Amino acid sequence: MNKPSQPRFVRPCTLIWLTLIALTGVTYSIGDAGLGGRNVMLLVLAITLLKGQMIAGFFMGLRKTSLLWRAIMGGYLIIVGGMIAAAYLMGIN
Amino acid sequence: MQYKSQAVAKPYFIAAIGLFVGQILFGLIMGLQYVVGDFLFPAIPFNVARMVHTNLLIVWLLFGFMGAAYYMIPEESESELFSPKLALAMFWIFLVAGALTIVGYLTVPYAALAKMTFNDLWPTMGREFLEQPLITKLGIVVVALAFLFNISLTILKGRKTSISLVLLLGLWGLAVFFLFSFYNPSNLVLDKYFWWWTVHLWVEGVWELILGSLLAFVLIKVTGVDREIIEKWLYMIIAMTLITGIIGTGHHYYWIGTPEYWQWFGSVFSALEPIPFFMMTVFAFNMVNRRRREHPNKAATLWALGTGVMSFLGAGVWGFLHTLAPVNFYTHGTQITAAHGHMAFYGAYVMVVLTIISYAMPMLRGRAANSGKAQVMEMWAFWIMTVSIVFITLFLTAAGILQVWLQRVSTTPLGFMAAQDQVALFYWLREITGVLFLVGLVTYVASFFVGGETKEAA
Amino acid sequence: MTTQSLTIDAHEPGTPPGDLAIWFFIFAELLAFGIFFGSYAFARAHNVELFNQSQLMLNRASGAVNALVLITSSYFVVRAVAAIKQGLSRQCANWLGAAIALGGVFIVIKLFEFHAKFSAGISLSTNTFYMFYLSLTIFHFMHVILGMVILAFVMAKARSGGYSIEHHTGVETGASYWHMVDLVWIILFPLVYVIR
Repeated sequence: MNKPSQPRFVRPCTLIWLTLIALTGVTYSIGDAGLGGRNVMLLVLAITLLKGQMIAGFFMGLRKTSLLWRAIMGGYLIIVGGMIAAAYLMGIN
Repeated sequence: MQYKSQAVAKPYFIAAIGLFVGQILFGLIMGLQYVVGDFLFPAIPFNVARMVHTNLLIVWLLFGFMGAAYYMIPEESESELFSPKLALAMFWIFLVAGALTIVGYLTVPYAALAKMTFNDLWPTMGREFLEQPLITKLGIVVVALAFLFNISLTILKGRKTSISLVLLLGLWGLAVFFLFSFYNPSNLVLDKYFWWWTVHLWVEGVWELILGSLLAFVLIKVTGVDREIIEKWLYMIIAMTLITGIIGTGHHYYWIGTPEYWQWFGSVFSALEPIPFFMMTVFAFNMVNRRRREHPNKAATLWALGTGVMSFLGAGVWGFLHTLAPVNFYTHGTQITAAHGHMAFYGAYVMVVLTIISYAMPMLRGRAANSGKAQVMEMWAFWIMTVSIVFITLFLTAAGILQVWLQRVSTTPLGFMAAQDQVALFYWLREITGVLFLVGLVTYVASFFVGGETKEAA
Repeated sequence: MTTQSLTIDAHEPGTPPGDLAIWFFIFAELLAFGIFFGSYAFARAHNVELFNQSQLMLNRASGAVNALVLITSSYFVVRAVAAIKQGLSRQCANWLGAAIALGGVFIVIKLFEFHAKFSAGISLSTNTFYMFYLSLTIFHFMHVILGMVILAFVMAKARSGGYSIEHHTGVETGASYWHMVDLVWIILFPLVYVIR
């Protein structure tokens, strides 16, 4: 009996893992530099949602599921991100 | 009925229904006292009627839970009850103690009752819902321990299913949290703080486990859906119940002198409390739709579906209505709470006990289901009582909204009693609907005496 | 062929990996955290000064390291799933063990962070920012522990050969929950430690 070869999702997930590490580094550097303000917030938030989508799609395997599941997770990330952004903008005024 | 010892459930169910009738009668008395203040005064003052109304509710639900456990556990663990005699002895002790307590409430002034029952040695009385004299409280503990001993040993020697383990967890939780009724610190904040550990962690914690397990049991029986599927749902419902319910206690800690963070904890977690109830509704309908057999007991199926819907409406929706701290700031302690209380207790706990009675009672009487005629009558009772409670809830909600407005929002706020006068119309409507509820309840009781052709139990 | 496919764990195409019930649970948990995140954001809007000031007192480095720890741990869990899909129980258990160990690292780092805050006299009642910081991180902390417990059960079963190429829903179920714990920290870290 042949041993099945390594599943195909391993390589993309390895790349995702490295990307997530790098993006976390970016977020940390932004914080370390003490940067703030609307544009920085939007950048950090965009990175966060991108990371969330990577974990959901690749690690959790949702990218291979039906539209409904992807929409629930995508909608969640957008709503949470939207709330954070909206509240931040409220605070500026 | 597959096991002889299941028969001990019967007196428990009969007592439960009897006390249910008593509860409704006292509800009607105090409902009338809302608008005719001196009705039956001084024989039955309002505070006494209220105490009897709420205490009877708790006691008959406990009878129902115990009966349910005695019926379910032998079947689930595929083994006779450890000691049917002990179960029967406890039934009489509980019934007599309960009856004596109610007689005490009605015949002796509360302060005198407290003195007679050694309350000064160990003060536990005088707190809403936990008014029982010390002796009664100790009696409840003894009965509960004997009951748990009996049930636990039965499960230990037999088959262990998720349903029976969840039920056991709920019942043990019920007993453990009751112990906080003996703790009565003189600091009023601490007093209220721990009072909720009994009251809230009962109805929004461990009782929900009992509810889930009873519902799952009946659904397995009437739908024939795989146990595995039903158990998976049960686990999810329970996990959600515990996550939301335990910290959800915070919604009682907004304004009693506890730290401010409770306003956040209470709001966030209790906003999620409808989820397990919603899951319960989906669960009930899903299982009935996937049914693999047509059980002759249609009434029991109706009660099970009703529990799903009404518990979600009463506990979930009406609870959410006033659970967020900024809303509760206005609605706290108004008729909104009463509206929620009525529909939640009916929808969740009354209905689930009636579900198990509806399923088990025909079996206990040696048939798979009641005659068609009796079932039609029971279903009429279902609809009359359920529609009545919906309207009672709506009228109380209307009264509550008006009360909040008149008393707390308007630019010229009225005093409490003046506001009460203004909402009297809704109290009248509630009382009329209450009479209708009694009609439904009488129909329900009568359905037990309708004969007709029945099938022998399998 | 057809008889063989019947023995494979029933998994409808298009549904996420693992037991369907865990996904109800995952989304309920995400909803709870989502409401918490929203509450934080709007409470901050009313108190920008206080939040910005208090945020400076947090140990951003430990928050970032913990993000790296969880991401890597999540990746190890992916490898564990890959291993069992090849029928390699031993490797699967080892990857899970590594993931759990990293969970332990997270816990230790977090405990140091809590210790520093508590010994500075900070509590839930210090101010609104710390109320959120402490309750969000403690709530997440408890999920890390729960996730580790779940993974430990899965690891024990994998080690004893309880999963196979055909039957490994349990591994995917545990993995999905662990990714959720990671995902929450991915949002929590920038929200509480970085955005200002």
